Amino acid sequence: MPEQAQRRADLPENQAPPESSDRAFEELRHIIISPEQEQIVEIRSRIENPERRIKDVSSVVAEAIQMRRQQGDPTLSQALAPTVEEVLRESVRSDPHILADALFPVMGPAIRKSITETLRSMLESFNEALEHSFSLRGIQWRIEAVRTGKSFAEIVLMHSLLFRVEQVFLIHRETGLALNHLTAPSVTTQDPSMVAGMLSAIQQFVRDSFASPREESLNSMTVGGLEVWIEEGPHVVIAAVIRGHAPADYRIALKEAVEEIEAHFALPLASFQGDAGPFRAADARLQNLLVTQHREKSVARKPTMAIAAGALFLGAALGWISHAAYQHNKFSRLVSSLSRQPGIVVTSYGKSGGRWHIRGFRDPLASDPASELARYQLSPDSVALQFAPFFSLDDAMVTLRATNLLAPPSGVKLTERAGTLAASGMAPSLWMARFNERGALIPGVASLDTTQLQNGDIVALESVLLTFPVGQAKLEPGQASIISRAAVDLKTLRHYAELTNQTAALSIIGHTDSSGIEGANQVLSSQRAATVAALLMSNGIPRELLVSRGVGTAQPLRNEDNEQARHLNRSVTFHVALSPSAP
Amino acid sequence: MLQKKICMLGSFSVGKTSLVRRFVESIFDEQYQTTIGVKVDKKIVELAGKQITLVLWDIHGEDVLQSMRMTYLRGMSGYLLVIDPTRRQTLEDALALEARVQQAMGLIPRVLILNKCDLIADWDIDLERISAFEKSGQAVVRTSAKTGQGVEEAFSTLGAAVLHSAA
Repeated sequence: MPEQAQRRADLPENQAPPESSDRAFEELRHIIISPEQEQIVEIRSRIENPERRIKDVSSVVAEAIQMRRQQGDPTLSQALAPTVEEVLRESVRSDPHILADALFPVMGPAIRKSITETLRSMLESFNEALEHSFSLRGIQWRIEAVRTGKSFAEIVLMHSLLFRVEQVFLIHRETGLALNHLTAPSVTTQDPSMVAGMLSAIQQFVRDSFASPREESLNSMTVGGLEVWIEEGPHVVIAAVIRGHAPADYRIALKEAVEEIEAHFALPLASFQGDAGPFRAADARLQNLLVTQHREKSVARKPTMAIAAGALFLGAALGWISHAAYQHNKFSRLVSSLSRQPGIVVTSYGKSGGRWHIRGFRDPLASDPASELARYQLSPDSVALQFAPFFSLDDAMVTLRATNLLAPPSGVKLTERAGTLAASGMAPSLWMARFNERGALIPGVASLDTTQLQNGDIVALESVLLTFPVGQAKLEPGQASIISRAAVDLKTLRHYAELTNQTAALSIIGHTDSSGIEGANQVLSSQRAATVAALLMSNGIPRELLVSRGVGTAQPLRNEDNEQARHLNRSVTFHVALSPSAP
Repeated sequence: MLQKKICMLGSFSVGKTSLVRRFVESIFDEQYQTTIGVKVDKKIVELAGKQITLVLWDIHGEDVLQSMRMTYLRGMSGYLLVIDPTRRQTLEDALALEARVQQAMGLIPRVLILNKCDLIADWDIDLERISAFEKSGQAVVRTSAKTGQGVEEAFSTLGAAVLHSAA
């Protein structure tokens, strides 16, 4: 302004009279317009100069955006959205950390919350898993896990989504009347006809109130832990009241049931007049819905496998157990059989390292335990036998040992009882000598019993009968061999007597028949004995062994009621006497 | 047992709910009527020695005038048209309602109920019209939800009409 004032003051000085009006006008114009012109120039420069414009806009842009937002105009957001999105994209592309850092305070709690929620439900599952791990179901689940190759936790999670369909309503769609109604055991219910009616009413209410163009209707309701799933057909509606969370494929089961019932009951549905009677036949179909489809599948398929596997397992287990029991039984019988065997003592037995073993003592004469294995069909590989040799004092064993050592001749039997070895029967005197000499040396034998044993040589001698013609002291012919045989026996007997510290003596006894005079018979009988004595001596028998005497008719061998008996009485017989030798 | 869907129709506060409350089996709260516009109850009537279950759709008085609630009437076998004779307008509303029902669903057995007959002194309807209905053979039953008068008759009359119509 001071400048302008000065110009105005200068004006009169520069004005000339003819041109003065023009100049005055110019002056005036200048005075009037010039400030505006300058402002225009200034403004133009501000507009045309981008730097200035940026500076100008920058001073108001925040306030402008704020004001626009306060006006409630969504255009700003719409205009900004693509840019903001692009900005975010670009920011992430250039350096994801910036945005990540910025979001961190928000994402942290969000992720934590999500993880906590997941962990909580996992924990519940695992709690349940623990609960079930030692139950029959737990074992079933473990088997299922092995069979399906899924983790046990997965199987538990799968099964933890348990649900129960408590009620199934079959409802006539148009009238809302209950056609059928089934409940799971121990579920208390309201009057089905009223509930069915209300369900239809609600269904219609929802359809009317929130109808979508495609005639969609309410297909599920949730109240706390209870869900109502509704599936509609042209004529019927099936509503399932479910406790818990049914799997998605239960919906398919409902649809299938609706379709089947629509098809199966087409006629009664078309002519329905309020009589629900025909729909009782849908019981079985609806009953299937009370057991979930999910379970139905598993129940239909798994048990065959599980039962087969279980049966196989059980069978194998039973087989193994019974085989083991059978083997054990065989082994026990083998042990007790061996223990009963004379000459075998079982000191210990058992099983170690999958192999049976029996230890003890065995008399070498006892039966072979290995042969017992075969009797009980046990493989020699499966049973280790360790028996140390010993002398058994078992009677049977001592008897066997004595028999083995003494080799009794046929007709002689050895029996040992309580340390006494008894021989019975008839034995040659030489064997008898051996018995007496060695018998007591046999382990287990303390004394000998020969009371039942006859000396075969004595018996042979004492059974000799040499016959004579009537009235003669000369042997009947053909008896020389008897004499020589008797001589041999006598020699053997004498040897035996020596071995057993005895003295043997042979009495030669002459007999006559009853004919003739007694005195003469006595003489005759003595002569007959002397004849035989002489014959024996000629066979090498020493005289001191022999004692001959005649008894006449005093000791008749037979009653003389026939000639044969009288013949036998005209004879010589022997009697052997053994007496302990004088020391 | 035969079941029939029956609707209780009539203007607001003509006494439909009162009729239902005292004489039918009810498991739902009356609040249903105001929330979704209907409450379903049950009445078993015996006709000619046979029992019939009447499943009663008690439709909210005001809602029934709205066209969208007409869907509640689908599949009904008959209805009780209830009026409050102390309020002249309820008869007019009822007749208008009946016309709409007939238009939508044809002729369906119905019984006209003159409720509140315990308050007969306060009646304010044209009784000439009522007797004209009766003369033309239309079923009219006078009831009192308060005293119980005529209620059984109302349901059995409708039941008989429904059976007759079905036959």
